[in-house]
This record gives sequence, structure tokens and C-alpha cells, in this order.
Amino acid sequence: MALDVSMPILIVDDYATMIRIIRNLLKQVGFTNVDDAADGTQALERIGKKKYDLIISDWNMEPMTGYELLKQVRASSETARTPFIMVTAESKTENVIAAKKAGVNNYIVKPFNAQTLKGKIDAVFGE
Amino acid sequence: MSTKKAGAKPDESSIDALINLSDKLKENKAKSMSLTDVIGVAELLTSSLQPLLRQIDSTIHTELRSILLRIEGLRHEIAKVRADDISDHQIPEMGKELSAIVEATEGATNSIMNCAETVLEIETDNFEDYKQIVSDQMMTIFEACSFQDLTGQRVTKIVQTVEIIEERINLLCEMLDMGDEDKNQAEEELNANQKRNKELLLNGPANEGEGVNQSAIDALF
Repeated sequence: MALDVSMPILIVDDYATMIRIIRNLLKQVGFTNVDDAADGTQALERIGKKKYDLIISDWNMEPMTGYELLKQVRASSETARTPFIMVTAESKTENVIAAKKAGVNNYIVKPFNAQTLKGKIDAVFGE
Repeated sequence: MSTKKAGAKPDESSIDALINLSDKLKENKAKSMSLTDVIGVAELLTSSLQPLLRQIDSTIHTELRSILLRIEGLRHEIAKVRADDISDHQIPEMGKELSAIVEATEGATNSIMNCAETVLEIETDNFEDYKQIVSDQMMTIFEACSFQDLTGQRVTKIVQTVEIIEERINLLCEMLDMGDEDKNQAEEELNANQKRNKELLLNGPANEGEGVNQSAIDALF
């Protein structure tokens, strides 16, 4: 899939502040078509109504975690190939491996900057 | 509880009487026993057990008294832990402090982000106007950063309270002689929701030197 700065992106995080930070970082590197959701359940609702080209999700959320969201996204034939980047404050190897096995495309440890985010997006889209 | 103590034996006359009666019954084993013989055996058995029963009664009394004293002691020690003070004051107070920290950090973050967004969106060609807006916004950022001092003080209060609670819980564990086995059992009794959180949610940010860095994660991909 080619990288298009106007592509629809969904940010999933239970902290409004973090959503705002990621939104601004994305804006800084050119992406402006951004929606957000406060947890996995809300994200699935959004995904059911609109097609997203990239999902950037936190792991720790209630009631549905980012890891559970990832598995649901991969389980659906419509979203099985949607690029998914996990963003989390925790960086234990076993969690990274679990997310990778579940089909995550990349994994970013908080805090991060615009360049790191852009680098991961580029890597996911093979740029 | 032991019942085999000196003085618990039946007296010798009762034993002799029982032996005599037993011999007498053996000699007449082919014949049927009379009611008088049966009553005689019962009376002898009862009287021979009296000293033993009196001893058991006294032992039980002693044991119960020691249990009562232990419970009494534990009640005093538990009162020292002041569990009601922890649940009525200290934990609610900590909750308030934590909420205040969340509010303060959220407020400060929003103020700082508002400033950053304002600066990023300045649309003026006039350098003086631009400089003035940036200067105003930077001052607002400095003001917002004062949250660090306030939240630092609140965190210190929370740490102190947690230390007091930890001290009291340790005291209680020592009093109750709680070992690893009890702790493992408590772990097994975690409710379903706690288990789910333990399995699915992460523990939050790693401390300095713990976890893996972004480069190591990148290598995994």
C-alpha cells in the first residue's frame, strides 16, 4: 500500500491528551485526516462505519485493550490487512512479541517524537 | 491437644473390680449375662473413666483459655493497626490527592498544548506581532509548568501514606504469622476482573534501566 498523506488514520487512546499529542505529531509530518476513539470498543464502532488506512493504538485501555482490538481487527476479513501500529509506555520483550504474533505492523514506545512516528509509518508502508 | 497426662488414670480399686468382673464373665461365657451383671460393668466402666474425663475437661479449659488470650492479644494488636483510620481517612485522602494530580497535569498539558498550537498557527507577516504572540505564549507555558511543584508535594504526601499503610500491613502479617502459602492462596483467589486486568493490561511505563528500548524493538521487526 502506497503512503498517502491524505489517508484516513484512526488514533485509539483513552487519554485525550495523548490523542491530541499524536494528532499534532501527525499534523507536523503532514497527516491531517485523523479520527480518534477512546478505547477498543469505540474503535471497532468507528472501523465498522469507515475504512481506515492506518490504526495507531495504545495498549492499556478499558474495557477493550489495544491488544484485543488488534486481534479483532486481524480476525475480520475487511480489516485483516489494515496497517496497525501499537503505541505503549511499556516495552517488555514478551509484550512486543505477543503483539507481533497477533499481527501488529510496528510498535512504538512512549514518549516518542514526530520523526519516530513518521519513521514507523514509512516502514509500515514500505517507503 | 494432649489428654495423656499423669493423674488421668482410673484408680486401682476400680481396675481390680473390672478385672474380677471380667474373669467372672469369662468363666460364665456359655451362660447368658444377667441385667445386674451388665449394670455392674457399666457402673464400673463409668467410675473408672471419671478421673480421665475430669483431666480432659481441665485440659480443654486450659487450651480454650490460651486461645481466648491469643484472640484478645490479636484484638489489641489489630486495634493498633487502626484499619478504620486507613479505610476512612488515609485511602480516601490519597484518592483525592491522586485525582488532584491527574487534574493538575491534565490542565497543565492542555495549557502547554494550547500555546504550542497557537504558535504553530500564527498567520502574520509582522515580526513584532509574531514576537509578541510567541512571548505571551511562552509565559503561559512557564506558568503552566508550576504544576510540577504542586504535584511533587502531593506525590510526597501519597508516598508517606503508602509507607504508613505498608508498615501496618507488615505488622498485621507478622501477628497473624502469614507465610508464603497464605499469600499464594490469596493470589489464587483474585477475582475474574483482576485476573483479566493482570493478563491483558500492561504494568505501565518501565523504570529507568528496565524494559527494552525502541532500537531493540525495531530489531524485532
